[in-house]
Amino acid sequence: MAKEKRNIKILRYNPKTDKKPHWKSYNLELDSELTILDVLNEIHWKIDGSLAYRRSCRSAICGSCAMKINGQNLLACETPMHKFKGTIKIEPLPGFPILKDLVVDMDGFFKKIERVKPYLILDKPTPIKEFIQTPEEFDNIREAATCILCGACTSSCPSLWANEDYLGPAALLKSYRFIFDTRDDGSVDRIDIVNDKNGIWRCHTIFNCMEACPKNIKITEYLSKLKVKVLENTI
Amino acid sequence: MYKKTKFFDLNYYKFLGSWAWILHRLTGLALIFYLSLHVWVISTLAGDNGQFNEIMKFLGSPLFKYLEIGLWFVILFHAFNGIRVVIVDFFKGSLYHKSLFWILMIIAFVLWVWGSYIMVTHIIG
Repeated sequence: MAKEKRNIKILRYNPKTDKKPHWKSYNLELDSELTILDVLNEIHWKIDGSLAYRRSCRSAICGSCAMKINGQNLLACETPMHKFKGTIKIEPLPGFPILKDLVVDMDGFFKKIERVKPYLILDKPTPIKEFIQTPEEFDNIREAATCILCGACTSSCPSLWANEDYLGPAALLKSYRFIFDTRDDGSVDRIDIVNDKNGIWRCHTIFNCMEACPKNIKITEYLSKLKVKVLENTI
Repeated sequence: MYKKTKFFDLNYYKFLGSWAWILHRLTGLALIFYLSLHVWVISTLAGDNGQFNEIMKFLGSPLFKYLEIGLWFVILFHAFNGIRVVIVDFFKGSLYHKSLFWILMIIAFVLWVWGSYIMVTHIIG
């Protein structure tokens, strides 16, 4: 593999010693085939063991390693280094409090998802065998159900930067996934939660979430459908 | 734990959608400013001490005539991007919002050139 010299800048923050995050520069000779996660591993294992970041599956399904790389929210594990020329700047997800280095506090994010009741709510008794849906019915939610909860969308949303109480694209997408699930009976509750001053109406169709989603979910499209649904149910 | 106090992540990469939104907000503010000014100018008609005529004389200078060409652009951008937002929300526009933006902007640009031509000939002639 070809080696190349790269300058990596990482936004470091140690809660015990630093007041504010600061940039730290690393000059490395790296294989050009590496992903950003490999680069972080390289730094963590060989140069500076104090670097903190989240990682787990290294195959874009666990959603742990979402971070801001050269200005965009991406999964470090599926982003090849050769996507960028020159210096690579790595920062934690914007809009979330920083715990240490690239590790952010996701509590608020998951609380928002809990707020939209991300589970089936049933009036009827659960069927003993299969809970049947036609393929057409499932197509409504097929893509929305593939969300890996990495937080890249919510963190990229300017509406969230302006108001941290905004539910955010991930939680709204989760509510879409259950409101449009034909088996579910809890839509009335969920539509009430979403139809709030910090709910769906803070979506200004900026499309940052759709650009950031590592699973290419058409989030804005589903949020638009949700807006129409909320309108139909409340007028 | 470190929490950012600034409102915006200004370094975040700006995609087409972000630019459309930023410009929509800025042109919106410009329109609010213009409309307030407009209402104020008209309101001077209520008193009959010639104040209105004086202001109109001042606003009739070529500088303001040329600024109106800018105002025409601001109105067109805000109106046509507004149409885009409506299409995105109600007609599945998010699936093709980028091409939609450029198509609407081309129409707006043609209208801008047309309107500006009329305005300039009016100022010169």
